[in-house]
Amino acid sequence: MTFKLKYKNNEETREIPNDNYTINDLLSELGLSSQTIVSKQNGELVIEDTVINDDDEIQLVQIIYGG
Amino acid sequence: MNCTKCGNPKIIIKKEQSGQYLCKDCFIESIEKKVIKTIKKEKLLDKGDKVLVALSGGKDSVTTLEILNTFRTRRIIDICAVIIDEGIDNYRQDGIDIAVRHAERLGIEYMIFSMKENFGITLDEIMEKPNHKGSCSYCGVFRRTLINRAAREMNATKIATGHNLDDEVQAILMNYLEGNTDNLTKLGAKTESDAEEFTVKIKPLREIPEREIGLYVVAKELEVHFASCPYAQQSFRGEISEILNQLNQAHPTIKYSTLRGYDKIKKAVKNDFKKDYPKKRCEKCGEPSANRLCKACSFLEELK
Repeated sequence: MTFKLKYKNNEETREIPNDNYTINDLLSELGLSSQTIVSKQNGELVIEDTVINDDDEIQLVQIIYGG
Repeated sequence: MNCTKCGNPKIIIKKEQSGQYLCKDCFIESIEKKVIKTIKKEKLLDKGDKVLVALSGGKDSVTTLEILNTFRTRRIIDICAVIIDEGIDNYRQDGIDIAVRHAERLGIEYMIFSMKENFGITLDEIMEKPNHKGSCSYCGVFRRTLINRAAREMNATKIATGHNLDDEVQAILMNYLEGNTDNLTKLGAKTESDAEEFTVKIKPLREIPEREIGLYVVAKELEVHFASCPYAQQSFRGEISEILNQLNQAHPTIKYSTLRGYDKIKKAVKNDFKKDYPKKRCEKCGEPSANRLCKACSFLEELK
């Protein structure tokens, strides 16, 4: 089972490693903080507890930049 | 999990500080209501005000403009905008273009003030100087001078900035930790200067967490400039921000309690520590200044 990840200008297809794999799990894997990101699942805003399903398109929008 | 307010199953935020779950529409409404509440509570606006929005094209200033515009459409206030061009290649122009599109979309009078035209130097050129003191010092001082200048040129009665809860709490904590009582007296939702040339500044987003402003612009599909300034540097503010966000995970009300605590002692701090600066003028540009030269002109002298 896979999903498409869109982040900044990149798009990649990733494996869903286990059941109940959430956007929070994905953020941890990518080393990103949910404080600086908002997430969309198939084009709609969702909370980071959302479980990623087969064929989902997950878009991470960085809303806070350091400095 | 459904929206705590309307029962919609499509929630977009879990508010850790209140335990609420909100759908898109209820979230947008909650932000707008909260900003309006701050404006009323802190008496930030008076009927007939002409409010100058310092518009960068970023999420905070675009949100400030968007919500203040509801007062304009109800004919309570008038709005104008100033867009500052610091002169940062491959970065600033995108924000300027977005800011201009917002001003034109809403039919708001705006001016673009550039550092090059006003001070003869861009931030890029400053950063090429061997004796520069770091970009943020110059950017802050020159931008503040230009915003004040724009307010006078456009006859604005208030200047609205996009400072959010995180900005304000970082400033409170930084000044406590540095023992900077002078700067502590200058914080708050509304700041007035003794010099009449300096227009009153207001911070309508002061009680909105930064992340919620980001979510608001995405939820409302407002065009904003999401990008990092190429001169962003590791600063004390950045360290404080990291500490606060870490604390916030286990203590989700900590930013609000810090703000409330400061607001409770603000009056006492001002009474005890507000300095009376000599009311002089900068010898070079004539702006109000406590010293022979104002900060902007003294920077320009150093950079010669």
